[in-house]
Amino acid sequence: MNFHHIVLHELILAIIVVLILVLLLIITVLGYSFYSYRILHNRHTWKQIIEYKIMETIVGSDRNDEQDREFSKHLKEPSFRLLFLEVLVDSGRKFSGAAKKAINRLFYDFKLEDEAWRKLRQRKAYLVAGGIQELAAMNVEAAIPEIKAKLDDDRAAVYQEAQYAMVSFQGYEGLEFLAHFDKPLSDWQQLRLLSSIHHIPELSDVQVYSWLKSSNDSVVIFTLRLIRKFRLMTFYPAIYALLDHLATAVRVQAIRTMQAIENSATIGQFITCFDQQPIEVQLEILKSMKLARSKESEEFLKEQLLNHPKVSIKILAAEVLVVLDGGQYLREISQKEDTYDELIQIIKHALQEKKC
Amino acid sequence: MLILIAEDDELILRTVEHKLVKEGHEVVLTRNGQEAIEKIEESDFDLIVTDIMMPFASGIEILSAIKRHGKKVPVIVLSSMGQEEVVVDAFDLGASDFMVKPFSPNELILRIKRLTNR
Repeated sequence: MNFHHIVLHELILAIIVVLILVLLLIITVLGYSFYSYRILHNRHTWKQIIEYKIMETIVGSDRNDEQDREFSKHLKEPSFRLLFLEVLVDSGRKFSGAAKKAINRLFYDFKLEDEAWRKLRQRKAYLVAGGIQELAAMNVEAAIPEIKAKLDDDRAAVYQEAQYAMVSFQGYEGLEFLAHFDKPLSDWQQLRLLSSIHHIPELSDVQVYSWLKSSNDSVVIFTLRLIRKFRLMTFYPAIYALLDHLATAVRVQAIRTMQAIENSATIGQFITCFDQQPIEVQLEILKSMKLARSKESEEFLKEQLLNHPKVSIKILAAEVLVVLDGGQYLREISQKEDTYDELIQIIKHALQEKKC
Repeated sequence: MLILIAEDDELILRTVEHKLVKEGHEVVLTRNGQEAIEKIEESDFDLIVTDIMMPFASGIEILSAIKRHGKKVPVIVLSSMGQEEVVVDAFDLGASDFMVKPFSPNELILRIKRLTNR
């Protein structure tokens, strides 16, 4: 009896403990949810306040003392300052001219530079990258030496942001890092860098030649894109030499670049090197011929259409012939009795493409 | 002058609105393309400023709607970098001018003045 009483007592105690634990868990979850909601709500409200401040500064509205006081009060909150900096950098991407200057003025007036510097000196990669982005967006030139040092950081987020910042600050001169850069330069990063370069100085030849000889394929590809963007004709012979490069991706870009800065020898050079190239490069040569629309390639294209072993090459050759007004020739080929079915289908497809 | 601004970015929308109001214009705001089309059907605007990429209907669809309803109204298109092809489509559909973001609100005001001879 006494034994049963003890067991029952302990059981009730255990149930109460479990209930208390469950209750505590519920309170914790509710508390956390409320906290998250408050943060979200605050962020939303704060963002509105900040955007209003930015708008007011851009437009040059009359100052409202009450709102200014409210704004100054929020500025004491570290998370509000961080959000202010984030929104300010984002706004800088939307406006140019006087509006952009007004945004930069806010950055200095409210000493947000300190927040950005602090981020730059953090350990976490995303914070360092954020700091670099903010200092570059607000054109804080004093940060250049420290950002330059980040070019050698091992973390992609950091060195990529540092590369972009250097180019934002210095334009073409900011590409100096390419001379010793041994990691892959992603396509996205290449496009970002290219979009920030608006002019190439006259005495850049030696540097560009050295990048074309880089052992880093992505640096060579980036340089070819740079040459294409600025139509740097003088590099044509060096680009032609890249058609022997070990990497197919480099050869493909070399073909595109040759086409972009073509001269009277280009089509002949495409025809001469065609047989020694892998299929990806051969396809690129045909695409370039399509863009060039040169009658010089007509016989060569007919040859590829009839005799090349790869269907993809035949299809593209037929399409280019259509562009070169070779529709009549293609119809005649397709009507010949000894023309095999596959070729007839290829020709029909090419003629159909033209109609579309 | 009655001007419609169709833009889903709140900061750009408010900044352009304040600039235009300061210049003495009456401004109608919309944050999505569909709403903009409805407002164009309901009222006769003297000028429209529209973003290309917007929820529910794009700036291109707005231009098509203007053309469909036979409305003769100057339209300034705001586009982002890399939307060059869309800008060509916009001109084919009757856009009067375009500006690439990041853009200067002051320059927008000047272009509005030029288009409306004010």
